[in-house]
Amino acid sequence: MEKETPHGHIHPLSLLTREANDIFYRMGFSFAEGPLLEDEWHNFDALNVPKDHPARDMQDTFFIKDTPGMVLRTHTSNVQIRYMEEQMQNGTPPPYRIIVPGKVFRNEATDMTHEAEFYQLEGLAVGEDVTLSNLKGTLEQFFNELFKGTNVEVRFRPSYFPFVEPGVEVDMRVVGEAAPEKLRDKWIEMMGAGMVHPQVLKNAGVDHTKYRGFAFGMGLDRLAMLRCGIDDIRLIHSADLRFVNQF
Amino acid sequence: MLVSRLWLQKFFDTELPPAEKLSEALTFHAFEIDGMEKVGNDDVLDVKVTPNRGHDCLSHRGIAKELSAILQIPFIHDPLAKARLNLAGKTDKVAVTVEDSALCPRYLAGYITGVKVGPSPEWLRERLEAVGQRSINNIVDATNFVMFNMGQPLHAFDASKLHRGLPSRGSPEGSPRYHIVVRKARTGEKILTLDDKEYSLTDSMLVIADGNTETVIGIAGVKGGKPAGISEETTNIIIESANFDGTSVRKTAQALALRTDASARFEQGLSPWFSGYGMHFVVELIQRLAGGELQDIADVYPKPQKPRHSSVSVKKINQVLGTALTGADVADAFTRLGFEHKPARLDDAGRTGGEEEGVFEVVVPFERMDIEIAEDLVEEVGRIIGYDKIPAVPLPPLGQVPEVNKNFYTAKRVRDELAAAGYSEVYTSVFADRGERMVLNKVDSVRPYLRTTLTDGLADALNKNIPNKDMLGLTEVKLFEIGTVWKDGKEITMVGSASEKHPAVEKPLDEYVDGGEPAQYEDLPTSSAVLYRPFSKYPYIVRDVAMWVSNDTDPADVLWLLKKVAGELCVKTYLFDRFEKPARPDDSGRSVGEEKVSLAFRLIFQSFEKTLTEAGANEAMAKVHTALQTKGFDIR
Repeated sequence: MEKETPHGHIHPLSLLTREANDIFYRMGFSFAEGPLLEDEWHNFDALNVPKDHPARDMQDTFFIKDTPGMVLRTHTSNVQIRYMEEQMQNGTPPPYRIIVPGKVFRNEATDMTHEAEFYQLEGLAVGEDVTLSNLKGTLEQFFNELFKGTNVEVRFRPSYFPFVEPGVEVDMRVVGEAAPEKLRDKWIEMMGAGMVHPQVLKNAGVDHTKYRGFAFGMGLDRLAMLRCGIDDIRLIHSADLRFVNQF
Repeated sequence: MLVSRLWLQKFFDTELPPAEKLSEALTFHAFEIDGMEKVGNDDVLDVKVTPNRGHDCLSHRGIAKELSAILQIPFIHDPLAKARLNLAGKTDKVAVTVEDSALCPRYLAGYITGVKVGPSPEWLRERLEAVGQRSINNIVDATNFVMFNMGQPLHAFDASKLHRGLPSRGSPEGSPRYHIVVRKARTGEKILTLDDKEYSLTDSMLVIADGNTETVIGIAGVKGGKPAGISEETTNIIIESANFDGTSVRKTAQALALRTDASARFEQGLSPWFSGYGMHFVVELIQRLAGGELQDIADVYPKPQKPRHSSVSVKKINQVLGTALTGADVADAFTRLGFEHKPARLDDAGRTGGEEEGVFEVVVPFERMDIEIAEDLVEEVGRIIGYDKIPAVPLPPLGQVPEVNKNFYTAKRVRDELAAAGYSEVYTSVFADRGERMVLNKVDSVRPYLRTTLTDGLADALNKNIPNKDMLGLTEVKLFEIGTVWKDGKEITMVGSASEKHPAVEKPLDEYVDGGEPAQYEDLPTSSAVLYRPFSKYPYIVRDVAMWVSNDTDPADVLWLLKKVAGELCVKTYLFDRFEKPARPDDSGRSVGEEKVSLAFRLIFQSFEKTLTEAGANEAMAKVHTALQTKGFDIR
C-alpha cells in the first residue's frame, strides 16, 4: 500500500522565515541578504562599533586564518550598511524598508539556549519621518499577525547598542485565551532595537540630517522556540527528522 | 554591579521606596536588574550597567543620581556638590612623573603619615559586605568604600616600602622625597600582586614604579603589588587616585586574565575629574578612620577635561520619538537629570521659535561622557519620561511595492518541490573537517573549516536518521538542505539532497533561478501553530502485528484499539501494509468463502526514562494480541 511518496517536511525555521517575510512584505519591507563571511567594516566599523569594543575581541568573533579583516558576521546588521550603500550607489535615496533573515555566528560554547550558529531577523526602516513609535507599531503588528488570535503587547526598556540611539530592549507579552500556555501573560525579552545612529547612516552614505530610521534584530531561533515550544536550540541544527518532521 | 539600598539611602533625606520599586524604576528608565537579594535588613540589587554608562554609573552615587531623576527624589547629599577640593601640593615630599599622559591623563599621589592600621568600624564592614566585599583593614576598606561610593578606583601603598631619593633636578638641598613613575613595563619585568600571584609583564602594559629604585609596585588600573602593600605595621601611606586610559587597562587586564573592580571601571573610561574628588574623599575618610596627617599631594593633570555642551530641539525630540512633548516636558526631564540647560537660539537670525521648536542647550555633567550628539539627549528625555509613553504607530504606507527577492523566491519554490518529492529539510553546520578557509579561533577547536560542500553534512545526517526510520514511519530517508558553502574563493548558496537510494548531490541555487522577474511571492504554506513534542533519546523497539479482518473493517478503528491497549510506552502506531484476498472460486466457478483483508500495523515502544527491555515490549504486545483476538480478528 501507500505507493505514493509521503510528503517531506520543511524546516520550522524556513517556515517561520516565510511567514515573517509575508507579514513584513505586507508592511512594505523587502527581503535583503548579504554575505556570512564579512569584512570588519560592514560588520563593525560602519555600525559604530569602535575598534576597541569588547565585542570585537577574539572570544566573541570568529576570525579567518590568513585573511585579516574578515569575520563570520556576528549579526545581520552588516546588511543594513550593504543595502544602504548599494541603494545610494544606484542613486536611490530612502525610503528603505528591509528585513534580513539569516545566519549569524558567535564564538561561544553551546548549550540548550546558545549555539555558535544561529539565525537572526533584522529589520530596517529609513525615511524622512520614521519614529520610535513606528518601531513599536511595526513590531506590535508583526507579533499580532504571528500569534494570530491572541493579543500581543510590546514594551521598550532602555538599552545600549552602538549602532542605535536611542537604543531599546523589546519585550512582548502574548495575552488571551489562544496564547500558548507557556507564553501566556508573561513578558518575554525578544530583541534589541532602536533608532539608527546618525553615524551609521552617514557611514552608509545616507544624509543623516534628512533621514532617520529604526532597526531591530531578533533571534529567529528564539522566536521559533517560543512559538513552537522547542526546549533546546540545538535541535534546530540537529538535522534530526524526529524534530523536523513534526512540522 | 551590586548596589545596596541602605547605601543608596545615604544620598537622600526622603525615604527610598522598597527594593522592588527601585528595581522597577531602574528597569524601565535606566538598566536591567540581574537579581535582587535580602542581606540582613538591607536589599542588594544587581544592576546591569550598560557599557555606555560605565563612565558614571558604576557606583552608588551614579545609581542614586539615576534614581533621583527617575523617581523625582531630591539628590540632596551629593558628595561631589559638597566637596571643597584643595589639592594643591603643600610640600615636596612626593613627586609624580607620567611618561605618556595619553595613557594616564591624571595622577594624584597623596602622602599621609602616622596612620593606625586596624579593623574597620561596623558601618563600613556592613556596607562593603552588603556588596560582596571582604573587609580587610581600615585603609584598604576606605579606598574600596570610596570606589563603590563614587566610582573612582584608588590604591594605597605602604610608603615605608618605597624609597626616598633626592630630586634629580631642582634644588640640591631639597629633602629626600618619594617618586612615583607611571611608565610602560619593560619586557621581562615581573610583579607579585597582593593576592600572591606572579605576573610577567610586557612592554604594552602600563605600570606604577618606584622612581627611586625602578621597582614595579603596581599594574596601572588593575592591581597593586605585594611588596608595597598595606600591612598591620604600616604607618605612612601613599594614596593613588589616578585616571588611566580605558583601552590600555582593558587590554592589560585581558592579557593577564586579571579583571578587578578597578580595571572594570577604568575600562569604561572615567572622567579625570573623579580622581580629584576620589583623593579628597579618601584622605578625609582615612583620617577619620585611622588618623594620620596629610603631608603632601602631587597632582599631574596636564590637560584638564573641558566642559562640554550639547543641544537639541523639542521638535527633533518629537520627530525621533514620535511623541508630542512640550518644551516644559523636556526642561523637566533635564532638570530631573541634573543637566544645566537653557533655551538657545534656533538659528542665526536669533529666532528661538515657539516652545515646541525651542532648542535646549545643555551643559553636560563632566561624568556623562556618553552624551555627545542631539540623539543622546533625545534618549535621555525618552527614558526619563518613559518609553511606555511612546505610542505604537504603524508605518505610513510605503507608496511602492516592495521588491521580491529572487533568491528567496527561488529557495521557497525549491523547498516546496523537494518536500513534494518526499525530501525533508535539514540545517547542518557550516563548520567542517576540511575546506578552503579555516577559522582562526574556534572555541571548541573541532571542525575548524568552512564547508565547501553540503554533501558531507547531508551524508552524515542521512546516516543519523536511518536508524530512526521506523520511528519516523518512513520507508526511505530523503533529505535536502539549502545552505552556504565557501568554494573556489566564493560564498555560494547550494541546494543539496541525499537519500538512501542516491548519494548526496548538490548544485547552486542560481541554477534554479528562472529568467523572469517574479512580480510577487507565491502563496506557499508557512509555519503553523504546531507545538514541538519532545522525543526520547533512548532506543526504541519495533513490533509488527498482522491480521485478517473482514473487508468492512475500518483500519482506523483497529488503530484506535491498538493505541488504547498498547500502553503509554507505545509512542507510535501506524498501518504499514494492507492487501485483499479475494473470495476463492470453487470448481464450478462460484465464489466461496469471504473476501478477506490483511492489515499489518507497526508499533514502536520507547521510554523517556530508560532503555526499554524486550520483555517490556512483549508484555504490551501480549495485551495487544488478547484485545485483537477478543474482537475476533485472526492474527496471522
